[in-house]
Amino acid sequence: MSLLTNVIEHSLDDGYAQAAARRGAVGSSRLPVSLSGRLWLSAGLLLAAVVVTLGAAQTEVSAPAAAKERQKLIDRIRTETSGADTLQKDVDGLRDTVSAEQQAALKQPGGDANALLELLAAATHVQGPGVKLVVDDAEEASQGDSGGPRQSTGFADTGRVRDRDMQRVVNGLWSAGAEAITVNGERLTALSAIRAAGDAILVDNKPLAPPYTVLAIGDGERLSKAFQDSADGRYLGVLRQDYGIRTAISVQDTVRLAAAPSLVVRYAEPVAGQADTSGDGKGSK
Amino acid sequence: MIAVLGLVIGVMVGLVVRPVVPSGVEPYLPIAVVAALDAVFGGLRAMLDGIFDDKVFVVSFLSNVVVAALIVFLGDKLGVGSQLSTGVVVVLGIRIFSNAAAIRRHVFRA
Repeated sequence: MSLLTNVIEHSLDDGYAQAAARRGAVGSSRLPVSLSGRLWLSAGLLLAAVVVTLGAAQTEVSAPAAAKERQKLIDRIRTETSGADTLQKDVDGLRDTVSAEQQAALKQPGGDANALLELLAAATHVQGPGVKLVVDDAEEASQGDSGGPRQSTGFADTGRVRDRDMQRVVNGLWSAGAEAITVNGERLTALSAIRAAGDAILVDNKPLAPPYTVLAIGDGERLSKAFQDSADGRYLGVLRQDYGIRTAISVQDTVRLAAAPSLVVRYAEPVAGQADTSGDGKGSK
Repeated sequence: MIAVLGLVIGVMVGLVVRPVVPSGVEPYLPIAVVAALDAVFGGLRAMLDGIFDDKVFVVSFLSNVVVAALIVFLGDKLGVGSQLSTGVVVVLGIRIFSNAAAIRRHVFRA
């Protein structure tokens, strides 16, 4: 505290008191009288004024500079933000445009070619004359008797219809001239597979339960005849005769086939500008 | 009269000419400002006390500025520059306050 007290008590420079004591005239003169004294005073005041003014001016100058810099940064942030907003809007707009174009392209009444494409891609319900083929397991198949006739398969219940039987049936129908086929309501597409999982037959990974109803659109009478005369038709006849698998084929005036779930093609792309259908099957690595 | 002239000329020089403060000296400008204010208030009080001395006024002003700048310079070199300049400002501020109080007593007799 003594330091602070000292500072407070000696707030006036001690030089003044000493100078006054030297002159021996305390309180005699309030202002310097001589010219040199006045000049000294004015010089000191001038220095003090310059310093104080400079300090103020410096602050005045540097404060706007800092503020200017800050304002510049803020402006830059605003500009960039609005630029980013604009770009984002562009992106949104272009996205909308793309999706609108896609919708338009999908909805386009594309004429015969489009309809044919949809038909062949199983994308639409179709109806027309055709045949109905019902294939069912042999009556005793569900009992699982081991003495069944188809011992070569190694399975116990050999009276069952197998996936390869259905493959042959479907293949035979295609070759007999069927234009669209469903198996138990599952429309067959270019990507469909008929396979087995355990004892069940799967079409497009959907398990089917017997009896298997195959609907095929085609020239009913001729389709039926052509199928039954083909190797696959005879194979079915052999199955019926030798293994008791039940089949029934009937010509229908009108059959309605449901559409397949939409196909997803991820990797295959059409090759632009390659109209020739040579199909040489060249591969490249 | 001459003294007032000096004051006015000083302000004018500071404002109009606006000398560029070298960047090396810039940190000591606030200290110099406080020292200048202290000298002015001290001179005013001495005048009212009747013990004013022109030489003491100028010399004390200059030496205060130089010493304060030196202290801050030394502090900068030692890494305690801002603390030391705070100390200088505190000491000079207290002096300005007590001098202003003395001047007030002289002027208002209270």
